[in-house]
Amino acid sequence: MASIIDIKEECALQVRDFEFTYKGATSPSLKKVSMPIAKHSITALIGPSGCGKTTLLRAFNRMHDLYPGNTYAGEIEFEGRNILTPKEDLIHLRTKIGMIFQKPTAFPMSIFDNVAYGMRLQGIKNKTELNDRVEKALKDAAIWKEVSDRLKHDANGLSGGQQQRLCIARAIAVEPDVLLFDEPTSALDPISTQGIEKLVIELKERVSIIIVTHNMQQAARVSDYTGFMYLGELIELGQTEELFVTPKEKLTQEYITGKFG
Amino acid sequence: MTAVQKRILINRIALVFSTLSAIIALGFLFWILGILVMKGMSALNWNIFIYEGAPPGYEDSGLKHALTGQLILVGLATSVGVPLGILAGTYLSEYGKNSKLAHAIRDISDIMMSAPSIVIGAFVYAIIVMPMGHFSAWAGAIALAIIMIPIILRTTDDMLQLVPGTLREAAFALGAPKYKVILSVVYRGAKAGILTGVLLGIARVAGETAPLLFTSFNDNFFTTDLNAAMPSLTVTMFNYATSPYEDWQQLGWAAAFILSMFILGLNVLGRLILLAGKGK
Amino acid sequence: MIDKIFFNFTRFSALLILVIVAWIFVVLFNQSIEAMNTFGLDFITKDEWAPNLDKFGAYAAIFGSVASTFLAMLLAIPVAIGVAIFLSEIAHDKIKGFFGVSVELLAAIPSVIYGMWGLFYFVPILRDIFGGMGIGLLAAGIVLAIMILPFMAAVTRDAMNTTPDILKESAYALGGTQWDVIKDVIIPYAKAGIIGSLILALGRAIGETMAVTFVMGNVHHVPGSILDPTTSIPVTLANEFTEADSSLYFSSLFGLALTLLIMSFVVIAIAKFYFLRKARRA
Repeated sequence: MASIIDIKEECALQVRDFEFTYKGATSPSLKKVSMPIAKHSITALIGPSGCGKTTLLRAFNRMHDLYPGNTYAGEIEFEGRNILTPKEDLIHLRTKIGMIFQKPTAFPMSIFDNVAYGMRLQGIKNKTELNDRVEKALKDAAIWKEVSDRLKHDANGLSGGQQQRLCIARAIAVEPDVLLFDEPTSALDPISTQGIEKLVIELKERVSIIIVTHNMQQAARVSDYTGFMYLGELIELGQTEELFVTPKEKLTQEYITGKFG
Repeated sequence: MTAVQKRILINRIALVFSTLSAIIALGFLFWILGILVMKGMSALNWNIFIYEGAPPGYEDSGLKHALTGQLILVGLATSVGVPLGILAGTYLSEYGKNSKLAHAIRDISDIMMSAPSIVIGAFVYAIIVMPMGHFSAWAGAIALAIIMIPIILRTTDDMLQLVPGTLREAAFALGAPKYKVILSVVYRGAKAGILTGVLLGIARVAGETAPLLFTSFNDNFFTTDLNAAMPSLTVTMFNYATSPYEDWQQLGWAAAFILSMFILGLNVLGRLILLAGKGK
Repeated sequence: MIDKIFFNFTRFSALLILVIVAWIFVVLFNQSIEAMNTFGLDFITKDEWAPNLDKFGAYAAIFGSVASTFLAMLLAIPVAIGVAIFLSEIAHDKIKGFFGVSVELLAAIPSVIYGMWGLFYFVPILRDIFGGMGIGLLAAGIVLAIMILPFMAAVTRDAMNTTPDILKESAYALGGTQWDVIKDVIIPYAKAGIIGSLILALGRAIGETMAVTFVMGNVHHVPGSILDPTTSIPVTLANEFTEADSSLYFSSLFGLALTLLIMSFVVIAIAKFYFLRKARRA
């Protein structure tokens, strides 16, 4: 069976016997997944494509609810409650658990409006407050210097790497507790990738991070904990160094040594 | 009320409005469709296919003349429009590609696709009906063909471009001349798409009335003479529906029903062919 | 050898399109010279249309075309956008498929049938509500709106559907509601495509003949109210082309046809080459 370590830190999220079935599928895509997500650290999810890592990630902010017919079982505990219940307030949940996608997703509006978007949704109208928080978010996302003189410009004029940092700024501007990264550098060049990775590491001071990546080196570089998934199951969760150096499961070892994947 | 609650409320209202507009729109459209089916079905009987037009009040009146005329007109238009459209589309996709000329042709043809069809009728009137001195089936068919060509051209161009370049290269590598590659490989690869385009093109012109009003004009009797005015379902509908006679109006609805079923059938068939082609 | 022949056949067919379009313009222009020489600018600025006096001013027909199209757009655009939102964002898959196909099939129904419905079923209702004859600008606008609605909704939905899922998900991930996502992401993203689609529908409406011929009245007067009968270019052509008995009358009708062709060409070209091309590039 799976080997899941106990973590020393407090938990941001706790997954228990989580199962997920896509609409119309006969068997669940995720089977009895249980894992803790440590606070203020980075947990990476790795595994071959189709292993369910993105499916798991998208369950934390209930992204699957956008497409009717998918079903959850088990529980995911966040702030002392199970967030998989039907009465969960998804708007509130998603402001607490933000998400960054595979590709930069700048909205068709100005750079400023992109970052202010989430705050405006929460009803913040005060100009000085918006200005301050947009500036802070852009600084935290290490993009302020590049865009401070063109905040009113269309965000789609930025490069891919800049857009992705803009999206991170947009996500942290609403001050979430958890950030989900879904292969955030898969569409970027190596230099932009480096920038994003550095940023992710800096961000764990303030948020708990879960990052899905198809790139094992990336997981090794940025994360504190790594979970290896295979065919819808969590095979192993360990401290990143240990998992890559002395994996406890045979499957994990085969995967990280490149025997399959 | 907090900002978020307000947003949720606005969301509900907006979604209700949009659903309502869908219901209203479809309500109107199904109302029209319902009338078409009810009026059409009740007016439908075998006499319609046996008898030609007759003065109002006669028992033995039908639509045989209009049905035949419609088939002849659409058939003629198809036999002119389809080959020209397919050849022109072939030029764009296989020879012209991204040249300025090819783009100019695509643009002009695209505009033509939405141009008012009654203007085409006026044009054909000027070049055929006026010199000949009388209305004719030829004139009507040519007007329809002119409307059809841009539709066929567009779908052929699109569908041929979907055929992967490697398939062409493979055929060239076997030493086939270009026309053979096009005829035997490219056309075969795009068969379903082109056929769908042809069916939709036919469906489109079959419903046209305006370009026929002063080209093939109309006739209340059965004729196969291509040099004379020829009745069509659409113009017959137009005339019968605007007449004050109840039985003519009945026949008008029957014609509307038959024509609509024909056009819907072509559309559905076109979709099925495209789906079957994709499924492979 | 055969290669060359085949090539020439295809090129001939392709060039034929350009020839036909140029030919249409030339023929319509030549045919309308007499009217232009006789009336000059009065042809489009005067509304006296009196065949028995050989006086032809097309202003009423042009006004009727523009006004009925404007009215139709005014009525159809909000509903079409609502339907498009419903089809792309609200409806569940099964309903989406059913409604989507119905809308597309309804777009294929011959416009003359909308006209017949208007004349026999809708005009009497208008007559009951507003009195008068029922036929007129309002009836034409409504029938035109209903006729253009399926096409408009289908192309608007297609434009909205070009918005990448991931972009929508990003807005949901920030706590947006469906409506937030529609108004802040989908509509801004698909703006050029939506506007292009709407203008394209306008281009179709302005040249539409059969849906409005029955219900407009064919009266060459600028209407005093939207309930008054009037005419439009296609309606005039449909009603009078086979009745014209003088060469000036004919020439004036060709002048109308040319005016209509130029109007719709300009509108369609703006839709296709400005907005829809921009939408494709984005």
